[in-house]
Amino acid sequence: MSSALAVDRAFAVIAFKRRLAYKTQWLVGLVLGGGAMLVSMAMWRELLSGGALSGYDWDAMRAYVIIGFITATMVFGAADWQIADRILDGHVAVDLTKPVDFQRARAAEFVGSMCSTIPTVAVGVAGAWLLFDPPGPASATAGVLTAASLVLVFPLAFGITYLTVLVCFWTKRYLGVMWLREALLAFFSGMMIPLAFMPSWLQAVAWALPFPHFTTTPSAIYLGHVDTAGALGLLAAEAAWAAGLWFGARLVFNHAVKKVTVHGG
Amino acid sequence: MPILEARSLTKTFRRPDKASGFKGAVKHLVQRKYKNYTAVDGIDLSIEPGESVAYVGPNGAGKSTTVKLLTGILRPSEGTVRVMGRDPHTERIANAHDIGVLFGQRTQLWWDLPVEESLKLLKHMYGVSDADYQARIAKFDELLDLGEFMPALARTLSLGQRMRADLACALIHAPKMVYLDEPTIGLDISVKDRLRAFLRELVDDGTTLLLTSHDLADIEEVCERIVVIDKGAIAYDGPIQQLKAHYITTKAVHLILEGPADVPALAGKFPDYEWAAGESPSEVVVTYESNRFTTAEVLGGLTSQLAPRDLSLSEPSIEDVIRRLYAGELTK
Repeated sequence: MSSALAVDRAFAVIAFKRRLAYKTQWLVGLVLGGGAMLVSMAMWRELLSGGALSGYDWDAMRAYVIIGFITATMVFGAADWQIADRILDGHVAVDLTKPVDFQRARAAEFVGSMCSTIPTVAVGVAGAWLLFDPPGPASATAGVLTAASLVLVFPLAFGITYLTVLVCFWTKRYLGVMWLREALLAFFSGMMIPLAFMPSWLQAVAWALPFPHFTTTPSAIYLGHVDTAGALGLLAAEAAWAAGLWFGARLVFNHAVKKVTVHGG
Repeated sequence: MPILEARSLTKTFRRPDKASGFKGAVKHLVQRKYKNYTAVDGIDLSIEPGESVAYVGPNGAGKSTTVKLLTGILRPSEGTVRVMGRDPHTERIANAHDIGVLFGQRTQLWWDLPVEESLKLLKHMYGVSDADYQARIAKFDELLDLGEFMPALARTLSLGQRMRADLACALIHAPKMVYLDEPTIGLDISVKDRLRAFLRELVDDGTTLLLTSHDLADIEEVCERIVVIDKGAIAYDGPIQQLKAHYITTKAVHLILEGPADVPALAGKFPDYEWAAGESPSEVVVTYESNRFTTAEVLGGLTSQLAPRDLSLSEPSIEDVIRRLYAGELTK
């Protein structure tokens, strides 16, 4: 392993351990995430009892809700507060004295903290599988491409989260920024309701943003709502968003770092 | 060639100019006004390899801002900095490999993990080999008793333990240039003594040190050179001994007499000295100019004529000199 990758790994492992240091938080995440999934399942079973709506029947919706649970747990369970707090309380000054790329180090930490949600995801998905027996992927290829889409959620989630955290350099507050991001993400990703249920103009707005790739893209691929070429196109768009956000964040950081004031000790 | 060189270093911040009270808050919301505040004002500083420099000044003088400029955290508004030939802000990562930084008020430990985990992460960051890491940890353990709290979570450490662990974090990669910003703040005297002994050893080994502290004992025990900063500008820069020799021109004798001291009568009898009452009725403090009188002749005269029960000698501390420098009583 090259030394740069060893540093990334070390940051990721530290972030993973920090998340696991708080076992109650892990349990609360499982209970809340699992509870939300159960409520969602009950609601959709009732709504779809009369037949399919906007292309989703009860079979498809079971898989959709489970994919939504996976991405929501991964994204909302990552430790964005830790980065924001360091900027707000001035600890960013200490980070800037270290011989590491600030963004890359935060990305490694973010991935480490996202990985800490894997036990929650595994338990939640296993429970959901036993309770609801969702259908498998539309094809083996769809299964592989769904997994690729879920992997791309890592850099995509980091890009969006990191960019919103950097806003703290200007706002000096994080809570409102975080609420706005989470509301937009939950709504436009399709985590709350599938985009197919929205009017076409709102769907167009959603697809002009990176958010649908969190839930709609992996579930559309999994359920076979797009063919292989369509799936590859969605993956390319998802990867392009991840890359665009990465380089966009670099520009923002280069500007934001000039805002470091850190008065006093 | 200097290891660190700053020329006309200036940092100006923009601060909200807001009137107090509700009216001021509303007015600022509608019509925002800002004032420029110069924290560091045209500083010239040059440090040679192996020097130990104290950087002192009153609260808000610009000490910490200077350290942040020198370490590359802040970008200067004007002027230049070169550390080992590099611009520490634009070449931040390369510069960070060669410097160690400790901010007494900000820990670099990961709060919810054992100290050992933080040090291991830093080992990876700086690319320290296993052998060097083990050797340095052993040395830190010997000098700072690090081993006793290596497995402890950082948030459970006492302030003294936390500072010792932070010092190890700042030095794990054997940096050539070390910046310590208030390293003994809040520590008890025994931990301070230990840290100072450790820092002296560091300087003896050839590490270049820039130390900011409000504790002047840190400075006297660790540093050879002192830079006094006030209102963002340098008020004095030179050897500590020279500062003392130049500005400490008086000495004092504390006499305990057999009976109550009659200060006006004594002042009349010895008009060349300054006389003041001491802490008890029988104590009197005699101040004399050390460049006019030798201690032997002062003591000889006083003891032969007053036959004191006890006596002690004192000279103004560096703290008194710096206090007078801050107050503008002394000039460069």
